[in-house]
Amino acid sequence: MALGGFLRKLPYFFITLLVATTLMFFIVRNIPGDVTYVLADQIREEMGVTYEEALEIAYVMYLGFRPEEPLYKQYVDYLLNLLRGNLGYAYSFRMPVNDIIIQALPWTLLVLSLALGISFAIGVVLGLLIAWRRGGILSPVVTAYAAFTDAMPDFITAMLLYIFLAVRLGLFPLKGAYDPDIVPGFHPAFILSVLHHAALPICAYVVEHIGLWALMMKGSATSTLEEDFVRAAVARGLPERRIMMSYVGRNAILPLVATLAIQLGSMLGGSTLVERVFSYPGIGYFFAEALMRRDYGLMQGLFFLIIAGIIGANLIVELIYPILDPRVRRETR
Amino acid sequence: METVSVEEGFRGRLSSLYYNILKPILANKRATVGLFILLGFILMATIGPILVPLDLTMRWSERFKPPSLEHPLGTDYAGRDIFQQIVHGSRDVLTIAFLAASFAIAIAVTIGTLSGYLGGIVDYVLMGVTDIFLTIPQLPVMLMIAATVKVSDPVSFSAIIAIWMWAGLARAIRAEIISLRQKDFIEAAKVLDLGTGHIVFKELMPNILPYIVINFVTMMRVAITASVGIMFLGVAPLSVTHWGVMLNMAMFAYGAIYVPSGIHYALAPLLFIVLLEYGAVNLAHGLDEVFNPRLRRYE
Amino acid sequence: MEPILKVRDLIVEYAVREGILQVVSKASLDALEGQITALVGESGCGKTTLIDGIMGTLPPNGYVRGGQVFFKDIDLLRLSERERQKIRWERIAMVFQAAQNSLNPVLRVADHFIETVEAHKRGLSKKEILEKASELLRKARLDPEVVLRSYPHELSGGMKQRVIIALSLILDPEFLILDEPTSALDIYTQSVIIDLLRAIHKEKNLSMLLVTHDLSIVAELAHRAAVMYAGKIIEVTDVNSLFHDPKHPYSRGLIGAIPSLIEDLSHKKPIPGNPPSLLNPPPGCRFHPRCPYATDKCKKEEPPLVKVNGGLVACWLYE
Repeated sequence: MALGGFLRKLPYFFITLLVATTLMFFIVRNIPGDVTYVLADQIREEMGVTYEEALEIAYVMYLGFRPEEPLYKQYVDYLLNLLRGNLGYAYSFRMPVNDIIIQALPWTLLVLSLALGISFAIGVVLGLLIAWRRGGILSPVVTAYAAFTDAMPDFITAMLLYIFLAVRLGLFPLKGAYDPDIVPGFHPAFILSVLHHAALPICAYVVEHIGLWALMMKGSATSTLEEDFVRAAVARGLPERRIMMSYVGRNAILPLVATLAIQLGSMLGGSTLVERVFSYPGIGYFFAEALMRRDYGLMQGLFFLIIAGIIGANLIVELIYPILDPRVRRETR
Repeated sequence: METVSVEEGFRGRLSSLYYNILKPILANKRATVGLFILLGFILMATIGPILVPLDLTMRWSERFKPPSLEHPLGTDYAGRDIFQQIVHGSRDVLTIAFLAASFAIAIAVTIGTLSGYLGGIVDYVLMGVTDIFLTIPQLPVMLMIAATVKVSDPVSFSAIIAIWMWAGLARAIRAEIISLRQKDFIEAAKVLDLGTGHIVFKELMPNILPYIVINFVTMMRVAITASVGIMFLGVAPLSVTHWGVMLNMAMFAYGAIYVPSGIHYALAPLLFIVLLEYGAVNLAHGLDEVFNPRLRRYE
Repeated sequence: MEPILKVRDLIVEYAVREGILQVVSKASLDALEGQITALVGESGCGKTTLIDGIMGTLPPNGYVRGGQVFFKDIDLLRLSERERQKIRWERIAMVFQAAQNSLNPVLRVADHFIETVEAHKRGLSKKEILEKASELLRKARLDPEVVLRSYPHELSGGMKQRVIIALSLILDPEFLILDEPTSALDIYTQSVIIDLLRAIHKEKNLSMLLVTHDLSIVAELAHRAAVMYAGKIIEVTDVNSLFHDPKHPYSRGLIGAIPSLIEDLSHKKPIPGNPPSLLNPPPGCRFHPRCPYATDKCKKEEPPLVKVNGGLVACWLYE
């Protein structure tokens, strides 16, 4: 029932993914070859094969294709590799990309989901309250705040938080996802440490984006308030709370849900910088590392993951939206 | 029939320019603030480097000095004056921003107008391409391209940034063109057989001109963020004085932020970046309020 | 017959960018119990604002400047918001203009009924509520099985209008205010709705205030009519008299402008001129710029409502 929009968008997302991977393919072919040669040398030593064979192994392991084969075959090999779930080899870390992902992804997911959740929840409630009260003290404060944070890129906010709260005041750790002295596990000490380390990155996102959600909700709620069905609800004697939540709230939030995916995309993209600032070992951090170390294997693997993540987020929003807005559902009566 | 002298005509146009455009802009607080900030930076970028010489000799004994009369913003890790670097860096930052915004606007306007005006399969294909560019996130792609392709000059760097900036604007322009297309004066022009070129350039464009200007400012701001971000990661160090590179140095090299007075090295570019973006954002919003009456509601 | 609704010298204003806009200027009217009273006037004369003022549903920049509104013997304007909430819908219900958009798009029709009843705490179970709703919907010639389950966007304009009317009756109000219940609907649906209203009125002896600019509705349904012009009530009379012997020159113009199936249309004349801007209304009688009988007195002094032949008129011709 709710699948109509989802199914329609599915092929489009596949195409996007394909285009992204093709783009990656061509970028990666463009890289300076010296890295592979070094790897090949190593392989030759370790495995005792000839240089040519080592080179070939290096190419395959590292980039996913054999250089001497015709272009289209390289492309197909490359795609097949990806489909098999092999995201490449991170040369500078001596690990398959997948291993790095397993370590890093949970942290990024933790930070992003908490950050998005908190900023969305608080922002939406703020925006609704401001619109409902038609001004009041909150409005100019929030508007000014939003205008200010809007102008600051998120990594700048991150840097400021880092410099003042972590470096200067020492309130928060300088790097890592948890205190290395604590053994990971589901006990309070560990969980506390994790939260302590994740606090600043989450803060950076929340501080940055809360204004955005609040203003968006304020705008949406303000125009919803003028709708006839709100006046009709008042005329019917419905209690204020009910009107605020089920009439204004539920209707005003709809356009924002569509923006959720876009926001997640930009957060995921920006995670490179933010995680780098905090030395927080998530996907973004390793992507930045890959860039700095010129580790193309890791670069392309993580890039693929980021794109897939964004597309996944878009798809999830497509699925959720019809549940919230009955007008979009395909009817089967 | 009376003829108007060239001078009078010119003066007439000037005064109409003043009344129709400058006056309402200056009346709007946000736009004025933004405008002045931006003008300040443009000044800094153009004549600043002439007035303030750049002395890059390393004097290790002078490192991380706090602000003083001699060094208004202090010194960096190698004893070089931060203020000079900021001034010279402003030229790099603004050049890239300007170029990137220009490229992005050019692409967006072309694609948006073609798509909106011609419709049909052209529209379908162009918008499909636009959507793909929209979904793929800007930063990672640009980082990868910058890391793999040798970027050596501001122009190509700006081009790379621009490639991922135009998508949203193209869609918006297409929407505007579509709504304009239905309007009466376009119908009239068509009936009068004034030619597609004329219609596009003389009728449609002037109507979306304010929109383009506003978005130019916004694009500049996006470009600044992008370029600073890329430089911050050390991916394309085009020049030593670009603020992004300064930030990179401050955070990751020579332990600047861990030294009490070294903080200026990080704060100075931060401050100026924020100020510049703040100016751009306000100008864009202010212009929007001036030219878009729909936004002017009594609160 | 007692007036169930008494409006005396009501003044309603809006705060707009250009200043203060007085949309309703000392309007007075009575709605009698058991009768359908029509409030007639052109678009923009202030009819909707008048009933918004009565119900307390004015938008945020509107407010009641003065006057009194009595429902039976309760002064509506002096009530607290809580007390008003009690009266709303339980005793006075309202059907809005362009009711097509009066339903919450994310809720089903059934939810609307349930929440309305529960808001007034009648202690009925959901089942009982829906049974009552079904009964009302059936009277409106709608299939409750289908309609209750539906979302608003799944219903046609006419269906929504009938749902709104049914919704307004769910708490058995004593008084029903309808704002343009038939505008923007096709002729067939209009007739269905007119029949529905007539049936409701007959069955429950429900008193109604019917706001409209469509004189044919007035002719079919109303017993009494109040004519409104530029924020003032200028004539109140029974419907027969209104159509056969309109007193106020404006009413005469309105009735005279009704096209007929048999008359020669070339003799029909619209009222010349335009309704005045309410920011700067003309002095004296507001109709005088367009009135063929205007005298000097009309240009300076506002005529009060005086009794003439069982009705009320505000015109110096009937002093």
